[in-house]
Amino acid sequence: MSNWAILSGIEANLEAYEAVLTDIKRQTPQVTDLYILGDLISATKDSEKVIDRICHPKLGEPIPQVCKGWWEEQCLILHGFGETDEPTELIQKYGIATAKELWDNIPKSVVEWIYNLHFAFMELDCLLVHGSSISVSEELSPQTSPLQLFDRVSRAGANRLFCGRSGQTFRYHIKDGSVCSTVTSLDKTAPSQTFETTERVIIGVGNVGHIPHQATYALYSPNSDMLQFKTVRYGSGKGFQ
Amino acid sequence: MKIAVMSCIHSNYEALDAVLRDIDRAKAEKIFCLGDLVGYGPEPHAVVEMIRSLDIPTVQGCWDEDIVEGLNSCECSYPSVLAEHRGRFAHEWTKEQIYPDTIEFLAELPKTMMYENLAFVHGSPHSQHEYLLPELDGFIALERVLSTGADTLFCGHTHVPYVRSLDAGQLNIRVTGTKENQDSTFTAPLKRIVNAGSVGEPRHGRPNATYVIYDTDTEEVTMREVEYDYQKTCAAIIEKGLPKIFAWRLAKGMEYAERADDASHLCERGV
Repeated sequence: MSNWAILSGIEANLEAYEAVLTDIKRQTPQVTDLYILGDLISATKDSEKVIDRICHPKLGEPIPQVCKGWWEEQCLILHGFGETDEPTELIQKYGIATAKELWDNIPKSVVEWIYNLHFAFMELDCLLVHGSSISVSEELSPQTSPLQLFDRVSRAGANRLFCGRSGQTFRYHIKDGSVCSTVTSLDKTAPSQTFETTERVIIGVGNVGHIPHQATYALYSPNSDMLQFKTVRYGSGKGFQ
Repeated sequence: MKIAVMSCIHSNYEALDAVLRDIDRAKAEKIFCLGDLVGYGPEPHAVVEMIRSLDIPTVQGCWDEDIVEGLNSCECSYPSVLAEHRGRFAHEWTKEQIYPDTIEFLAELPKTMMYENLAFVHGSPHSQHEYLLPELDGFIALERVLSTGADTLFCGHTHVPYVRSLDAGQLNIRVTGTKENQDSTFTAPLKRIVNAGSVGEPRHGRPNATYVIYDTDTEEVTMREVEYDYQKTCAAIIEKGLPKIFAWRLAKGMEYAERADDASHLCERGV
């Protein structure tokens, strides 16, 4: 039986990551697989410590499977290895000073490690990805158009899509649906065809490091399809829900 | 008002001329072009100049994009190695033929255009390289129209004209894990995809040029098929040293080796 812990958005917050790892160790049944869906780093110096911790799990801890996030992509763009040439999105969102910090604070050895990260993982019928099946930048949430969500999970050939870009925890269940299609060509009109969906689920796994003293992540059992969201409070005023 | 929508001229000046005459006869007041002005055919410069001189609003096609930015397509553009070799040869030949200001013109073409409740793209709103085949999953097709905000999406790229109505679309949804768990039903009104076919490299089984006329008042779509002297273009293809198979398939109006036939393939390239 496999039990997954899925998290995203550590954003160089080592304390938050340690708190989540501690919480993961407490789980029964035991967590067998740990997926980190990107945004391990931010523009700060602590990014390197987080990467080092991820690369060196302690005895008994699951070995993290890591894919690329938005921050990692921005770092690669700065170093000329990204999908685009210019760090336009980074500058628009955080300004030039942050772009410089990201450049200064991420050593070349870490850039090389980031370069080798996967875009996504496909496990069983689940796609695990930072943003969506088309981009690390795309934010999927319950506010996203239902057909857009359907497209993003379908185009990967998956039934479940786990993502972290929005930072929200949610389970968006497309239960069923239908659409009627009629095609007319130059020579004929084909009989109407009704397309029906099989169920698809899009899951937001929360965010570990962005909100101080409060991390969220997801536990998932692929055998039973059981999903649980966890909130971990750490540091001052900590407590567990 | 009648508008004419044409696509995929592919350097076939003879076909373009015949279609423009037919548009004139049909008394269409406006023309939109869905790109792929160049590639495959023998007269890339003449076709671009005609479109420019008539000031026809045009979106960028995949061939236009590749001439500007270099070949960089995902697997959907070339389903076989032989097709890829021929495509690369035609790409290089076309690039040698056209002038720098023509490349500049192609580079500045928009990827999508809107006119009232109509959207115009070459392949799909997601990519100039993505094929919206008539067999594409109904929900994915509906998503492509809705993503533009239009009621009718005009596209080309497949070289086979069709009109597809998508009606009574609905999805039943349950959202949990948030502050407010909820059940809801998403419904979509009637939407349409209109594929304009191909002026200069048709693949519907006959050599005639195809395009569509849309009446904005009645919302009626008419698929037009125009006869022209395709043998003249075939002769020019061979005379100019382009792959002879381009002349063969133009004469047949069909391509067996290079037709897109995987309706489930979604292009990996974004707009």
